[in-house]
Amino acid sequence: MPASANRAAYLLIAPALLVLAATSLYPAIYSFALSFFNWNWGARFDFIGLRNYADLFQSAEFWQVLYQTFLFAIVATGLELLLGLGLAVVVDRLGFGAGIIRTLLLTPLMVSGIIVALMSKILLDPMLGFVNYLLIWLGLPPSPFFGTTATAMSTIIMVDAWWQTAFVFIIVLAGLQSLAQEPIEAARVDGANSLQIFFRIKLPMLRGVLFTVLIFRTIDTLKVFDIIFGTTGGGPQIATEVMQTLAYRKAFSFLQMSESMTVMVIFSTIVLLICLLYMRLESFLVEV
Amino acid sequence: MGIARRDQLERALAYLISLAAILLTLFPIVWLLSVSLKSQRDAFAVPPKLLFEPIADHFLGLLDKPGFVDAFRNSVIVTAMGVAIAITIAIFAAYSIHRFRFRGKQLFGAWLLLAYMLPEFLFIIPLFVLYQRIGWYDSHIGLALAYQAHSLPFAVWLLRSFFREVPLDLDDAARIDGCNHLGALRHVYIPMAAPGIAATAILTAIWIWNELTIALSLTFSEAQTITVAVASFRGYTSINWGGMAAASIVAVLPMLLFAVVAQKYIVKGLTLGSLKG
Repeated sequence: MPASANRAAYLLIAPALLVLAATSLYPAIYSFALSFFNWNWGARFDFIGLRNYADLFQSAEFWQVLYQTFLFAIVATGLELLLGLGLAVVVDRLGFGAGIIRTLLLTPLMVSGIIVALMSKILLDPMLGFVNYLLIWLGLPPSPFFGTTATAMSTIIMVDAWWQTAFVFIIVLAGLQSLAQEPIEAARVDGANSLQIFFRIKLPMLRGVLFTVLIFRTIDTLKVFDIIFGTTGGGPQIATEVMQTLAYRKAFSFLQMSESMTVMVIFSTIVLLICLLYMRLESFLVEV
Repeated sequence: MGIARRDQLERALAYLISLAAILLTLFPIVWLLSVSLKSQRDAFAVPPKLLFEPIADHFLGLLDKPGFVDAFRNSVIVTAMGVAIAITIAIFAAYSIHRFRFRGKQLFGAWLLLAYMLPEFLFIIPLFVLYQRIGWYDSHIGLALAYQAHSLPFAVWLLRSFFREVPLDLDDAARIDGCNHLGALRHVYIPMAAPGIAATAILTAIWIWNELTIALSLTFSEAQTITVAVASFRGYTSINWGGMAAASIVAVLPMLLFAVVAQKYIVKGLTLGSLKG
């Protein structure tokens, strides 16, 4: 590789590096540094070492919020993967009208999270909402949905599933449609039925695609903010508070700037570890 | 049961499930639209009114709501700026990592991935502090730049996938014809990957238009975006369903129209990146 080519390569990425340095590298370092101070947007600005970390690790609230973040991410991702995969298999079977059906099923991805949140508040209103009316009409008990600590989290998971299942669906569908046809045809000739073909042949061939979708949904659900901010705001009490809403509340409601950054440093470390774990797993999966 | 008959049954079942899924997908949006056209009394009626006298009051009311029209305009400006910055810069960066091997390339790739994956507030709270000091808080450019932490990695990564589809022969031919790298980029890659660039721009625009977290933290009034304006309708004290629904419809309509017009590109962009990584 001649030196001039090397220089060209660097020149071409220079603008991207510059912008990324300003918008992500600098802020990440700043957050990390400030997590060792006690800055609350005032004049006080003392180095306090690991005190923020110790305080957080000793607070029951922090552990509850961390637990809830993972609960939401795991259940929502699992649900969306199952529904999205099922829907993709179904739409893959369609002939006439498959294109328009696919387009219609993609609509939720065009809707911003805050609108999804407000829409669900109207539909799931305990007293006046359409869904409870429907439940009663069907002879089922109505639900308080966002209103109680017992039901709020599962309601938000449902809302996220409505919103993001389409993401899993569209990618798995594209994966299904690009599978090599020979092994599938061979199995069919041998008399395998659709279920056998799906579980024995298609699903193993889709492993890579499913894994990619799993990574994206896990990280995205861990970072959930809009639909919680727009519906419960983390409540009732702190039953639906997650890491990102906690950081927002600490910084913008209480001006606990360095504590908020500490929350984000811890959370980012966790996200980073999950990314690394997935990368290891992926190379393992590819080798197998 | 014969194979053909079983096949037919399976297909019928597939249509049935698809229809149910479409109903579940579209019903909330249709309901939102109906609430935006109902009077307060009709919206709160139990049992729900399926037939009602549609009114435009809630939409007209948005025109009088302070800042709502400005918020729409701000979103148009910030989305245009954000997409322009991301695509321009990403084209060069994507070409560089597609075409060259250089020291630190892997590190650059890892940083792109991290910037994309790490939680927003890790970046936003420091940017909030910085922007307060340099006067970029509540400004279009400040917000459009802050979006790059997410949009730029996405655009670079997707554009590289599209550049990979350009035949290497064409690249070589351009070089033999005396083109330098910028020439090859301009005469080969950009025209060949134009649909891919469009797909990237469209997906970036959708993401920025719909983004709330960053806009909520970095804008207040002057540069407040449509999502922040819509968010101001939330809260249990507000029972203005009509206004809330009308604002949501206004905010979502451009994206739905976009989806109809650019559906092909959207699907291409969403799937190519994930399938070929």
